[in-house]
Amino acid sequence: MAVGLRHFTARAGNGVGEPILDTDNGEELVHVQPSVSVAVGNRASESLGTLYITTRQVIWLSELDREKGYAVDFLSLSLHAVSRDPEAYPSPCIYTQIETEADEVEDESEDSDSECSEVLDLSKIREMRFIPSDANQLDTLFQVFCECAELNPEPIEEGEEEGHNWIFSADQLEDEAGAGDDVEWHFSQNPTNTIGHSNGHHDLASSVLELQINDQRFEDAEEMEQDADTGHHHQSQQ
Amino acid sequence: MLFFSYFKDLVGREVTVELKNDLAIRGTLHSVDQYLNIKLENTRVVDQDKYPHMLSVRNCFIRGSVVRYVQLPPEEVDIELLHDATRREAR
Repeated sequence: MAVGLRHFTARAGNGVGEPILDTDNGEELVHVQPSVSVAVGNRASESLGTLYITTRQVIWLSELDREKGYAVDFLSLSLHAVSRDPEAYPSPCIYTQIETEADEVEDESEDSDSECSEVLDLSKIREMRFIPSDANQLDTLFQVFCECAELNPEPIEEGEEEGHNWIFSADQLEDEAGAGDDVEWHFSQNPTNTIGHSNGHHDLASSVLELQINDQRFEDAEEMEQDADTGHHHQSQQ
Repeated sequence: MLFFSYFKDLVGREVTVELKNDLAIRGTLHSVDQYLNIKLENTRVVDQDKYPHMLSVRNCFIRGSVVRYVQLPPEEVDIELLHDATRREAR
C-alpha cells in the first residue's frame, strides 16, 4: 500500500475505460464524477478527466490522455475540504492534503521543479485539488469523500497490542516491574479501550469490558492513599 | 471511547486542531467519529506560511490519524472531571 499520490493507468479495455479496482479484496466504486479537472501540487490544472471515488481510493483519469491517471488512497488523505475562497484558488474545488513519506522533511524543491519538469515525482505531492466543472457538485463530492474516508481507518498492526504498556502514574511503575503485563491487559476480546488507541477496525460502540480481578496486587497500596487525588476510586472492588 | 465521548460534548465549540505536519487549523467542531476523524466548519489556517493557499475553507474533514493535538477552549474543560475519567478508563 503506497503512501501518497501515484500514477494510475489500469483501465478496463472497454470503451468507457473505467479504472480496474481491487474487487477481490472488496474495493467498490462509490461515485463517478465526469468533467473534473485536477491540480496537482502547485501545477496548473489538468482538464477533462473523470473522478472515480472508491471505497479505498480516489482516482482521476484523463479523458484526453488514456495513459494518464492519478490515484491516492484514503489512508493517505490527511484532510479534504470544500474550497470556495477565490483568494485560495480561482475555482471552487475540493482541496486535499496528502500525507507523504517525506512529511518530516521540508522539501522546497517541489516548488521549483513542478513548474518546468515533465516528469513529476508524485510521491512528494502534498496538495491536490479536484475542480468539477459544475460547482454545485462540490458538497456531494465532499460528502462522498467523508464517507469513504471513514471506511479507511488506520489498520491495526500486529505487534502493537502486545507491547501496549501505557503508564498512568509513577506508582504504576512499581507494579509493572513485578506483575509484568500478564494479567492486566488480557481481555477476552481485543483490548481497544485504551486511551488514544481508538483508530482501528474494532467496534467501539460495543460495551467496554469490566475487568474483575480479586488480586491483592491490585489493591491500593498504603502510600497511594496519601496521594489524596480527588475522585480516586477503588474500582477493583466493584 | 473516552475521547470520542468527550469530543462529542464539544461539538459547536471553537477548537484548534494541530496536525502531525505542524499545520494548525481553527474552526467550529462539527462532528467527530469513533476514529476521532474531525469535521470542522468555518475553518481557517492558524499559520498561513506553510499552506498559504488553504486560507479559509468552509467545511473540512481531518483524518483522525494525522491529528497531533486538539486545542480546547479553557472554559469548556473541567480538568478534574477529565482527570478522573481518564483514570477510570485506564483500569
